[in-house]
Amino acid sequence: MKDHSSPHDRPMIEVENLHKHFGPLHVLNGINLSITTGEVVCIIGPSGSGKSTLLRCINHLEVPESGRIRIDGKLAYRDEEGGVFKAHSNRAVAAVRAQVGMVFQHFNLFPHLTVMGNLVEAPIHVLRQPRAAARRRAMELLEMVGLGDKADAYPEELSGGQQQRAAIARALAMDPKAMLFDEVTSALDPELVAEVLAVMRRLAGQGMTMLVVTHEMNFARQAASRVIFMDHGRIVEESSPEQIFGAPREPRTRDFLRTVLDR
Amino acid sequence: MFQLFNPQVAVENIGPLLGGLLITVELTLVVIVLSLIFALFVALAGMSRITPLRWLMKAYLEVIRGTPLFLQLIYVYYVLPSIGIRLDPFSAGVLALTLNYSGYISEVYRGGIQAIARGQHDAAAALGMTHALAMRRIILPQAIRIIIPTLGNYFIGLFKDTALASAISIQELLYTAQVKAALSYQYFTLYTVVGFLYFAVSFPAARLVGYLERVTRAGYGRRRRP
Repeated sequence: MKDHSSPHDRPMIEVENLHKHFGPLHVLNGINLSITTGEVVCIIGPSGSGKSTLLRCINHLEVPESGRIRIDGKLAYRDEEGGVFKAHSNRAVAAVRAQVGMVFQHFNLFPHLTVMGNLVEAPIHVLRQPRAAARRRAMELLEMVGLGDKADAYPEELSGGQQQRAAIARALAMDPKAMLFDEVTSALDPELVAEVLAVMRRLAGQGMTMLVVTHEMNFARQAASRVIFMDHGRIVEESSPEQIFGAPREPRTRDFLRTVLDR
Repeated sequence: MFQLFNPQVAVENIGPLLGGLLITVELTLVVIVLSLIFALFVALAGMSRITPLRWLMKAYLEVIRGTPLFLQLIYVYYVLPSIGIRLDPFSAGVLALTLNYSGYISEVYRGGIQAIARGQHDAAAALGMTHALAMRRIILPQAIRIIIPTLGNYFIGLFKDTALASAISIQELLYTAQVKAALSYQYFTLYTVVGFLYFAVSFPAARLVGYLERVTRAGYGRRRRP
């Protein structure tokens, strides 16, 4: 594994004044964000607040109208010259995406490939790793997420929790510099949530840089180094988990936390 | 003694008729291979970001769908020579049938590609795959599996549609029977044998398609294979 154990102050993901509309809806309204190497940042907020869109913009699955994104210090996806954007080539976009892992709400495993096939697909065809090396690394990762015996299974033969752990392993197989998690437990049966969160906690413990959109407040409280509350396309409040869950400053944060926690 | 079905005539003509069936099968197979390839280009061009290319494919599709296959065959064989394109009957048949079936099959491809969930594109992109690589490794393999039964049904249709090629004197099964019948007046016997020969190929092919449909619907895990 890559050594992430000594976090320094180098920003891994930087977002600057990001704006994005869906029709009349201003879904991202001037987002500024910086995530340091080794940090685990959780984004919470009501649905429709723009958290998932922000994550998808960071991986260029959505294209914002304006703003800048830097990955590991480098301007990603497009250049701006005199207010005019010039899109990077598809190949350059793909190269940046290859450095950032992403895990989705609905797993999105490739159903026509085995679990092993899912894990080695991109390392072999994108990173040009030798097949044997890719398989060895994949096996290590499957052991790490507790799926060592499922390498030859097809995704549809697995439970939701197993599929999501396989999807995390698939993203890790690219040896990413950072990981994006987009509501990865929202589609799971309640009893399967814990096993996925356990894998994410372990990953956080290993020093992985993580940006996590989640409704799991306990995970945010325990695993996050910083919690961001978003509403209506803006970052409303941003602080330590102790601060935001113990004594939120903003009334909107308090209202949101009251509705999700006091049930 | 007068009889409708004359076994002796059937036996005497079975050789030429089987020869005709062979041409029919050859024609079908050649058109299957060519249209599977050509239709993929039509489908991808039809979904291209280049607008004129999309329009061109749309126009092609509407012309193919808006005119009879019979006319298309006759057009390729009898009209193209007047602009200097002279084809032998078999080539003309292959060209017309390929143009026709590629139109329809491109729509089958398009449906299959669009049936693959958005999340598959997202996952492939997030892993750093280019659009072309994602198409080749992730989207098309799934799409092809979905459309196999539909393609099978189209190809059974094609096998029967090749009978139209008798109109441009390709010596396939129906044409052979027409020639023999014109000489012997044994319409009942000859056309019954012809019907039987078409059915003898179509029916097993349809069963095979039915089997493929069950296999592809069953999902990917070995556990669920029928």
